[in-house]
Amino acid sequence: MTRIVIDHLARVEGHGGVSVELGDGGVESVHFDVIEGARLLEGIVRGRPYDEVAPITSRICAICSAAHTIASLTATEQAFGVVPSARTERLRDLMLRGENIESHALHVFLLALPDYFGAPSAIALATEHREVVDLALRLKQLGNAIQEVVAGRAIHPVTAVVGGFGSWPTQNDLLALREGLLQGREDVAAAVDLMASLPPVDIGRSPSAYAALRMTGFYGYASGHEILVESSGRTVSVPVTAYRSITREQTVPHSHAKHSRWNGTPFMVGAIARLAVNGDHLPAGGARVAQRLGLTGESDDPQDNTRAQVVELAVDVDRALELVEHLLAEGDCVEAPVPVTPRAGTGTGAIEAPRGLLIHSYRYDERGLVEEADVVTPTALNAASVEHRLRRAVEQVSDRDAARIRRRAEMLVRAYDPCISCAVHVLDARRAV
Amino acid sequence: MTTATTAARPTVGIVGLTGCAGDQLVVLNCEDKLLDLVRLLDIRDFLMASSDRDDECPLDLVFVEGAVLSRRDEETLLRVRERAKCLVAIGTCAVWGGIPALDRLYDRQAMVRDVYGNGGLQFDTLPARALREVVPVDYAITGCPIEREEFLSAVAHLLHGNPPPSRDLPVCAECRMRETSCLLVTRGLLCCGPVTQGGCAARCPTRGVPCFGCRGPVAGANIPAALAAFEAHGIPREVAERRLEIFGPLPCVAAEEVAP
Repeated sequence: MTRIVIDHLARVEGHGGVSVELGDGGVESVHFDVIEGARLLEGIVRGRPYDEVAPITSRICAICSAAHTIASLTATEQAFGVVPSARTERLRDLMLRGENIESHALHVFLLALPDYFGAPSAIALATEHREVVDLALRLKQLGNAIQEVVAGRAIHPVTAVVGGFGSWPTQNDLLALREGLLQGREDVAAAVDLMASLPPVDIGRSPSAYAALRMTGFYGYASGHEILVESSGRTVSVPVTAYRSITREQTVPHSHAKHSRWNGTPFMVGAIARLAVNGDHLPAGGARVAQRLGLTGESDDPQDNTRAQVVELAVDVDRALELVEHLLAEGDCVEAPVPVTPRAGTGTGAIEAPRGLLIHSYRYDERGLVEEADVVTPTALNAASVEHRLRRAVEQVSDRDAARIRRRAEMLVRAYDPCISCAVHVLDARRAV
Repeated sequence: MTTATTAARPTVGIVGLTGCAGDQLVVLNCEDKLLDLVRLLDIRDFLMASSDRDDECPLDLVFVEGAVLSRRDEETLLRVRERAKCLVAIGTCAVWGGIPALDRLYDRQAMVRDVYGNGGLQFDTLPARALREVVPVDYAITGCPIEREEFLSAVAHLLHGNPPPSRDLPVCAECRMRETSCLLVTRGLLCCGPVTQGGCAARCPTRGVPCFGCRGPVAGANIPAALAAFEAHGIPREVAERRLEIFGPLPCVAAEEVAP
């Protein structure tokens, strides 16, 4: 038996590996190993007051910290019956667009793209393709600038609080963002050209089930109430409150992430899943990009996730520009957060994080202290699907060349844009009943 | 103390232990300085950004993010300490233990069982430790995450053979300099600014949100006086104590010498 181990995957967020066992009869086992240490945030939030929960759970992950924050705030607001204003919803939308732009630019260009050029990193790419790296860094910086202005910090937001925002962007900041977004539109167009020019690769292609929130209006990532699961051409709707029916998780010995399945089948979440279940609602600009990148029919290619992220870059830059124009037209009007009166109750916040469906669910006591917390992260949801397609990617290498298997395995895992810091933090404070 | 400049272009590692990867992300968020940084630093080992990695070469300088939460983390840290002339802890987890070190207040084994079931007990997990609880640390850049400007300034100082500037002012001092009205005095909000290490330009209070203490305790933090001030503004002592423990000092470090 031959064992191939990628001890530590490069160009992914967090610590993960891959191990493959090849026997005489074929591939014996394929594991996506999550080897990040366990921070056990569930025990840490239990018993803590409601206003500490978002700042603590945001630390699950830096790249998705805005999504974690808003999912957390939404869960808490639901538990207490707090309804944030429409203006707050719009500012949160802008915050999430910023995060999505930053995260997708990072993944598409700095983590995934070097594989297509046979380069070890985007930095190495800069010697020959400086314009590509400049473009990537500008888009990434744009996403960060939006988060700095709206959330007060690009990583681990500070202004977003239960009921609203501690402060609102100034007109000067918004004018600067508008400039950046206009440049962003040009950069996205160049990114689409670049993406369209990349050669297709066949790594682990196989049909997949997809799960994402039903996205209403503007292809928005927040305020989801319904999860759509698409499997073999059939779409099933699951209310967010019943999310556990799609996340029947099993603990597996090789990973600190639990595995999820839908009717026994692995499913994929992320940009391609959003497109698979919400493609009809794609705004015109995004639809044109999807057409250009060949993302119109059913997708069986994990690399389509990276292409779908480019579609979202186009959607998000357009939408962010609309939101900034809207805020500018409103003028300086600061709004205090909705007052909060804690009460006993439960709330579930579901959101489309850059890497896919993210759920925070809490139960509070009457003093507003956490009794139970449960967080389901996109990379944990994807873990079973990653392994399923890893097996396929390995089986495709008929000569069993170890270097080739490694390269393909890395490229496959990267297509899922895994966030391994997230995957390990499956908060689950439910006591055994 | 060691310094980093032994050659014109020092060999550098950027390594993550267990954490949210936010401090490494801050390095990547230096977008407009990134290509300058690679010109000045010979980055040999930065797994988050490059698959071209030399994990054995000697390093003039290594930045380490995250807390030690597993035997694997411990081995990684011991190895980079051996390889590196100068080790800089980046981020509150590396400097103080950060949020994961809140496990000190709980029964860790019971928590592991709660999350992962009995199968979880075979995982490689250890109680959270800051880097200096495991190896000698030359310099520390705190923050959750670190501030971009502090990181760039530290790099510039180290390149010139100087130690990075140390800070001993609380967030409160920076807040006054920015003429923000005090959230504790005017609104009775629990703000950790008086006892938290500055360097963030009072990021939160200047945006109307009380300091959460994410940069860890400032040198000479007077916790009893802060608790008394909070109490005088109607904040119960136990509520304030619980807030301060989130990014609180290491149990092994006495209050008068909390500076990293």
